[in-house]
Amino acid sequence: MKEQSSLGSTLVKKLTGNLAATIVVGTTLVLAVVIGVEGGPSQVINSIVTGGMWALLAVGLALVFGVMNVPHFAHGESFMVGAYVAYFVFNPIHTSLKENPNTFLGVTAPFLAMLAAAVAGLILGVILERLLFYPLRLKTKSGWVMNAFLLTVGISFILTNGTTLTLGPNFRGIPRYWDVPPLQVGSVRVAVDRIIAFFIAIISIVALWFFLRQTRTGRAIRAVSQDELGAQMMGINLNFIYPLTFALATAMAALSGASLLFMFQAYPTVGLKPLYFAWYVVMLAGLGNVVGAIVGGFIVAVLQSATQLFTFTVTVLGHEFQIGGIAWEDVIPTFVMIIVLLVVPSGIFGSEVKGVQEQ
Amino acid sequence: MLQLKNLDASYGFLQILWDVSLHIADGEFVGLIGPNGAGKTTTLRTIAGLLKPMKGEVLFKGHKMNTVPAHETTRMGISYISEDLNLFVDMSVRENLLMGAYIVRDQQKQLETLDFVYELFPRLKEREGQLAGTMSGGERKMLAIARGMMSNPLLLLVDEPSLGLAPHLVTDVFKSLRRLQETGVTLMLVEQRVNATLEITDRAYVMEQGRIVMEGPSSELMTNEHVKAAYLGI
Amino acid sequence: MASIEMERKNDASPLGAITAAMKRIGISPLGLVLLVVVALLPLIPPFNQEHMVRWLIMGAFLAAQAIAFDFTAGYINVVNFGFAALLGLGAYTSAILANKSPVLMVQPGLSPWIGIWIGAIVAGLVGLGLGWLTLRLRGIFAAVMAWFVGIALMGLVRNLTPLTRGPLGMNPSSLLNTTANLPYYYIILIMMLAVYVSLRLVTESHYGLAFKAIGQNLDAARASGINPTRYRVFNFALSSLFAGWLGGFYAHYYGSLTPQTLMHTSKTVEVLALVYIGGRGSMWGGMFIAFPFVFFIEYLRSNLTELPGLHLVIYGLLMVLVMILYPDGLAGLYNWAVEKIKGLGNSG
Repeated sequence: MKEQSSLGSTLVKKLTGNLAATIVVGTTLVLAVVIGVEGGPSQVINSIVTGGMWALLAVGLALVFGVMNVPHFAHGESFMVGAYVAYFVFNPIHTSLKENPNTFLGVTAPFLAMLAAAVAGLILGVILERLLFYPLRLKTKSGWVMNAFLLTVGISFILTNGTTLTLGPNFRGIPRYWDVPPLQVGSVRVAVDRIIAFFIAIISIVALWFFLRQTRTGRAIRAVSQDELGAQMMGINLNFIYPLTFALATAMAALSGASLLFMFQAYPTVGLKPLYFAWYVVMLAGLGNVVGAIVGGFIVAVLQSATQLFTFTVTVLGHEFQIGGIAWEDVIPTFVMIIVLLVVPSGIFGSEVKGVQEQ
Repeated sequence: MLQLKNLDASYGFLQILWDVSLHIADGEFVGLIGPNGAGKTTTLRTIAGLLKPMKGEVLFKGHKMNTVPAHETTRMGISYISEDLNLFVDMSVRENLLMGAYIVRDQQKQLETLDFVYELFPRLKEREGQLAGTMSGGERKMLAIARGMMSNPLLLLVDEPSLGLAPHLVTDVFKSLRRLQETGVTLMLVEQRVNATLEITDRAYVMEQGRIVMEGPSSELMTNEHVKAAYLGI
Repeated sequence: MASIEMERKNDASPLGAITAAMKRIGISPLGLVLLVVVALLPLIPPFNQEHMVRWLIMGAFLAAQAIAFDFTAGYINVVNFGFAALLGLGAYTSAILANKSPVLMVQPGLSPWIGIWIGAIVAGLVGLGLGWLTLRLRGIFAAVMAWFVGIALMGLVRNLTPLTRGPLGMNPSSLLNTTANLPYYYIILIMMLAVYVSLRLVTESHYGLAFKAIGQNLDAARASGINPTRYRVFNFALSSLFAGWLGGFYAHYYGSLTPQTLMHTSKTVEVLALVYIGGRGSMWGGMFIAFPFVFFIEYLRSNLTELPGLHLVIYGLLMVLVMILYPDGLAGLYNWAVEKIKGLGNSG
């Protein structure tokens, strides 16, 4: 095979000769070490787990933007749908297991719930694409990116409030998927749920990477993202690629929602924070850049950990202002982002997207 | 193979083609010449299904093609090599060629065609792993033409292959088109180099201001006074 | 273009002169009639009930926001996704300045009548910064950036508890020393008109043309000698200024402020939906539709209490339907109808 473009080598290629990316990635690594020293290795492991999830979400966003030119604002709602589906599949099994324990079912039920969420995501993705984006594409002559963005805003609004309407605003959640003691990794104890969530994210990303690089359909998806007209001339049916891409992205977000159910729970607006951080990742890395999204996921997670870990107090006129801590995790990363984007407006890895030029 | 009947086509409000009729027989090599903006590219785009005609008919092997979308025309055997090339710039040469064979599901067949185009353009084989976006203009052109052949088309539409190419490469390209005809492919060539076109094609149409103004065997057109005065500069 | 004014032949009568003057500030005879109706509405039963007047105030408040929002979205084609945060910034600034309670860190005790203006200026300045920050980014990037800044602003307000009491919220003093709603209604109606007329005057000047040019094609605009930086920053600042001003009204009318109810992204989306349903780039579309909308939604809310959030679902559905089926919105429909009638008149 001549195509030796593994994930690692592509990454190295992207980093060499890119000053901004090298600085940001380097700083992140230093920050991760500092976090490890100050907050203990568990903090680092936490950032890695979270990073994997942000990466999975951001890859979906990048894919949808790269292929369909849709800046997806309802990605968080796919996460929410996944969380709910997983809850509604897992909870009854879990309850029945209390009465008649069954080790096999106990181990597999969580995976079943996640699988159900992913399938629900696939279906939701196809429905949304056919029902909404397809007619919009026929209607739109100019300004597609902005129109598509606003359409996803509407979808997000409907899904969030529709969920409140039908299921109520209350939290539905589970303390954990697997009733087993945490794993000892060196001196740290890590919940099994977290480890599995991390591996699900990594496996999904690698599987997607393989799919895009090595399969006929995956190549067709990349072809569409690089030259839509050329792809059509090769016999690629856009009305197959678009729903497929959207379904894949939705399924990935639903899978994250499902595998993080123990952490986030399920409630109507649960998707806002994942959406925010996934967008943060793709803006930082460059829109439509799948590899960049993976690195960006970890960068953002480290930044988030740092914000939570390092707090200091400022006293003004005898009143104490606490800076840092979990409440600041949407404030401080934003300031970092603003600074980065001022220097490199199209993200540290640049954009590989046809639609960036469009208004 | 292909027949256009009284075709009108337009971009938005601007009508480009007026009552265009032409036909191509099986195995023929037909040229379409004319000045810039005459509607040659529009004609090819309409045949390829990238533009829907307003009036008239496009018949391919007896099927009415007017509303057939671009990806379907490719599946039916029409391959269009555009002037803009439309290469996949972040894919390797090999990946681009495999994309060209997207509609060919038989892997063995794909590899056979790949060997065939590598034989036609040895340079592409040398550059197999290179990203299309990093190649020179001439190499890109070759890649686009090679990619257009990968679907084993019945009819190959080639738009301005000589544009921006060094003279010796133009000869290469024209030779490979000729070889393609010998393998049984029907070709339609849109070109600015009228002389070279009339030399390799069997028959040609002259298009001016969106209308077909003249047609005939290429050898006859070469001696035609109007063609000589307007395009050959004799 | 999309606007409420109808083409009128210049006649020399005093009536003609008045219409011409009104037209200059963007008010057509039909618009004037509607304005008078809206102004007199709270005096006529059943609209004179207190809760109806409150709805009218909400309508005018939303209408004014829609105008300021459309000034950016409909003209320079950048959706200011941090709009609600800027509104909240104005509200909080004014509320803090008016504070007398020792619960908070500072007690300036400034009159709300002055604080509102300072709030507007602060929001305008932040808008200026936001415009400068996003000017290098194209459409969607600018929108997302504005969104981030909005979230950060909301986070700041939530976290600076000694100043804002954080998520607990503030209870700023009232603008007027009365419990009646009617005076507030006329205040917000005048504010709405002021926003409309001033932004109309701007868009009718050469600025309006430049905005449209930038909104349609940034590069072409730049090539034809328009400096996008200046216009975009100006546009953002002006829109934010009015957002902050309106926020001040909110603070001192409702007397209750929390980051969640005022600065959340969903508040921006509500205004955005209004603008799109009303017709982007028309200025009056969102304003016109705000009043019936508030009545419809408040009616649903008060009568279907067992279905919380239904009104928001309808909001979202309407927006999506308009986007897909009729992207020009109500204003587009109106212009189409006017053209039709004119066409009939000309041929008949």
